[in-house]
Amino acid sequence: MRGWMLAGVRRGPGPLIGTVVASAAAAALTVAALSVAIADTSVPAGRLAGTSVVVAGDTSLHVTVGHGDDARQSLPLPAYRGVPAGLAGQLARVPGVAAAAGESGFPGGVVRPGDVDLVAVTAKPGVSPGVLAGRIRAALSSAGHGGRGYTIATGSARGDVADLTAAVERSEGQVLGAALIPPIVTISLFVLAATTGLAVSLRRRRFALLRTVGATRGQVRRVILAELAVCGVAGGALGWLPGLALGGLGTRALAAHQMLPAGSAAWRSPWLLLAACGVSVIVAVLSGQIAARRAGRTSPAQALLQTVAEGKWPSPVRILLGLGAAGGAGTLMAFTFGQKSAAGQLALAFPLLLTCMVAVALLGPVLVAVAAWLARPARAVGGPSARLALAAISAQPRRTASAVIPVALAVAMVGAVYFADASIAHATAAQAGSTVTADRVISGSGANAGLDAAALRQVRALPGVRAAAGVAPVSVAATDPDLEPVYGEAVSGGPLSRVLDLGVTSGSLSALRPGQIAVSALEAAPGAMGVHTGSRVTVYLPDGTPYRATVSALYARSLAAGDVLIPASAVAGHTGTAPGFAQILVSGGSAGGLAGLAAGHPGWHVATRNVANAAAAQAAQDGFVNNLILGLVATLAAVALVNTLVVATVERRRALRLLGRVGASRGQVAAAFGWHALFVTVTGVVTGAAAGAVTLVAVTKAATGSWAPFIPLAPAAGLVLGVGGLVAGAVMIPFWLMSRREPALAAG
Amino acid sequence: MLADTADIVEATPVSALGTPVVLEDVTKRYGRRRRAVPALDRVSLSFGAGSFTAVLGVSGSGKSTLLQCAAGLERPSAGTVRLCGTDLAGLSQRRQAVLRRQRVGFVFQDLNLLPELTVEENIALPLRLDHRRAGRADIELAAARVGLGGGQLRRRPAELSGGQQQRAAIARALIARPEVIFADEPTGALDPHTAAGVLRLLRGAADGTTVVIVTHDPQVTRFCDRAVFLHGGRVDRVLADPEPGEVARVLHELGERSGSGDGDRS
Repeated sequence: MRGWMLAGVRRGPGPLIGTVVASAAAAALTVAALSVAIADTSVPAGRLAGTSVVVAGDTSLHVTVGHGDDARQSLPLPAYRGVPAGLAGQLARVPGVAAAAGESGFPGGVVRPGDVDLVAVTAKPGVSPGVLAGRIRAALSSAGHGGRGYTIATGSARGDVADLTAAVERSEGQVLGAALIPPIVTISLFVLAATTGLAVSLRRRRFALLRTVGATRGQVRRVILAELAVCGVAGGALGWLPGLALGGLGTRALAAHQMLPAGSAAWRSPWLLLAACGVSVIVAVLSGQIAARRAGRTSPAQALLQTVAEGKWPSPVRILLGLGAAGGAGTLMAFTFGQKSAAGQLALAFPLLLTCMVAVALLGPVLVAVAAWLARPARAVGGPSARLALAAISAQPRRTASAVIPVALAVAMVGAVYFADASIAHATAAQAGSTVTADRVISGSGANAGLDAAALRQVRALPGVRAAAGVAPVSVAATDPDLEPVYGEAVSGGPLSRVLDLGVTSGSLSALRPGQIAVSALEAAPGAMGVHTGSRVTVYLPDGTPYRATVSALYARSLAAGDVLIPASAVAGHTGTAPGFAQILVSGGSAGGLAGLAAGHPGWHVATRNVANAAAAQAAQDGFVNNLILGLVATLAAVALVNTLVVATVERRRALRLLGRVGASRGQVAAAFGWHALFVTVTGVVTGAAAGAVTLVAVTKAATGSWAPFIPLAPAAGLVLGVGGLVAGAVMIPFWLMSRREPALAAG
Repeated sequence: MLADTADIVEATPVSALGTPVVLEDVTKRYGRRRRAVPALDRVSLSFGAGSFTAVLGVSGSGKSTLLQCAAGLERPSAGTVRLCGTDLAGLSQRRQAVLRRQRVGFVFQDLNLLPELTVEENIALPLRLDHRRAGRADIELAAARVGLGGGQLRRRPAELSGGQQQRAAIARALIARPEVIFADEPTGALDPHTAAGVLRLLRGAADGTTVVIVTHDPQVTRFCDRAVFLHGGRVDRVLADPEPGEVARVLHELGERSGSGDGDRS
């Protein structure tokens, strides 16, 4: 039984090629994401290459959040905790240690007196690093250091201690890789469901014949699922190598954007081939469930008909489900907009997009029928060719819908992702360009620009200066509600309200004293940190030191400034960098006075507010991660679109032949196919835009607080033209190839 | 001979009943409307064991609907169909499928064969679906009975002529040694000479199997021992040992009666 079941794949793979291509795309993207998620991110030991064992203060932060099994959460620290300099002498006495020396001056190193970053230990000849590490661990715990954790590293783990940024970057990149897999699989399911549905419906008559000859519904279903499984294996095998290549590219790109340690290498295990095949088989088989079920229900009587046309209208169940999905999308939309917290709204955005897409997919035939009714005036303009195309569409709304749906999904997905990113970037740039209200901005270039507390004092002392504040980016760890890095600024001086317009919503920002913290409204919301003015919070500085503070202000304009403001004095000595500012913001004073002061400091640049704001707005435009996600989504959407349209066009070969026989010219038939493509494009774009807009508005509202998404004309036109181009290519190229083999088509 | 006992439909001795196909008061309406003109209107007919019957009528007379209801491909709106001694109304979809592959064979006008299977795989399909071993010898024997053999068996259907394809379809219909073969215009796409050859083969190979052929070709009745004429969904008349000339006259008369412009509802 097994052999004949798969004969269709072996000998008549035409309609299934699309399924193989789509599952290959799914496999390639999954392999790429997996190879990033499990990338080899070990970093060279560098300066510590000659040591056997490295001892440092625990390089991770551990915090108990709430209760339960996973209550204890960890986060890699970007700065050393530091260990007492005396630890080196203590470790030198451990048996087997040849030498132990405290070392400082690593990236992320401390500058606290009496502490060193780490202790580098060399073993005596014949003592293995592993054994020595065990002895050191025992010595440290017996010496009463049990309460204070240490990181004791040997071998390749020394690299992570030598460069603390590695662990931070690794967790970002690998989390991103892993987080991309579920959406890839979900979207692939959509893509494949469209493709397999068409591949199955084109062969309805064969399945009817099988039923007549005595195949049960289950047997027909199993034939289709077996075919899809084989397509999945083929797709997995085809997608494996491109996936590895893509994973390599992705790993390098992430490393270039400091989201993976430099020198990371994508995971290239042969197991990935298995993973590729596994994922694409699962996706292919799952996506075919509905199609297989429908084919199994094919009435055997259809085998007696000359041409098996599927019903003009979808089943009432499908329409009901479609209306249900549309209603669900409406409810979800209301619920999303009703969410108090932006985080809650953002979390609902992807399910909202999926629900809208399900509704479009289910109601496709109805939408096509409506569009065909609306398009009737085109008959007068387009002549007989338009008439022909429209007649074909009206006669078979379901068949046309299978071409329109992937177009709509492509527009909805790509549009929602791209324009959500564009809207957020636009809002960020707008805020970045207007957050700073200081007259002039001093920025430092190079590590020793000397923008420090002394410089700030000098600036403040200049005649006429009404306000001057130093700001430096800082990342702290906070429980919002999970332990995560939160980015903000360390600030000093003031009054802040004269140099920054942060849109304070409660409390006051005139001065930020030690023991105080300002939090953005987004971050303070109930779904995140859940605080208000006067709340007591604990955040963790880069070296893990807890900073317990009272919330003194909440502010709205956080896209550019970050989510927390902390007094620079509280942060000093805990950041792993020399104390200093990235910028000093100055209001009042004279240009000449500042220029005079800057003349004595070669690393300083003094700029007007406008120039500084323009630079900040420019910096806000970097959307690497979003471009990455956009690339994935666009790839899958394009595969689905081309796949389905090519199959649907090839299927119209009979119509093409018939038109040729009744005397249609090649030009007339080409025009009819062109009108068809135009109809598919316009209907798909309009439907997709509507479905995507719902999600876009929800995301924009959540992230920027504005109801109006930013839709620049050029990318919007690019999206429409790109989709139109793909549709035209996927329809007209197969048409051209087919028409060349139809001598009956008259020239002209 | 049957490998999978789970799928054996309760075997009723054919000889005891003598009539593998019985229709009693069968009505079939398409569409939901009560006032829709029935495609079959209270038809009662039986087809005795080993009989070779042609069902004739003009387009829209209900002959294809009759075949579909008799073979269990469509459920009648009213009435009873007994196939191989079993009331079809009482059978699940699954058991109907099993009944078809074990005891019924089908031959259609065209598109009989799955294009991706070879001729021999097509012939063996009912056995394979029934989880039975399809021995080479059995397949070659079935093929030989319809005059196919050698390299033809390993070809794909598209590589055969129309007549050869119909013969392969007949071999497939015969492979499971069915009690009944339903044929819907089996020679409709063939030239008269090839058609006669195919029918002669069917007649010879059937050998005790009940055959019901739906056709509008009077020449088919040369090989039949009975001709049933349908008109407007009802049995108009039945001729024993029909003669093509007479059949043609009856068909012409029926055509005159129904007038022109009658659409093909079946």
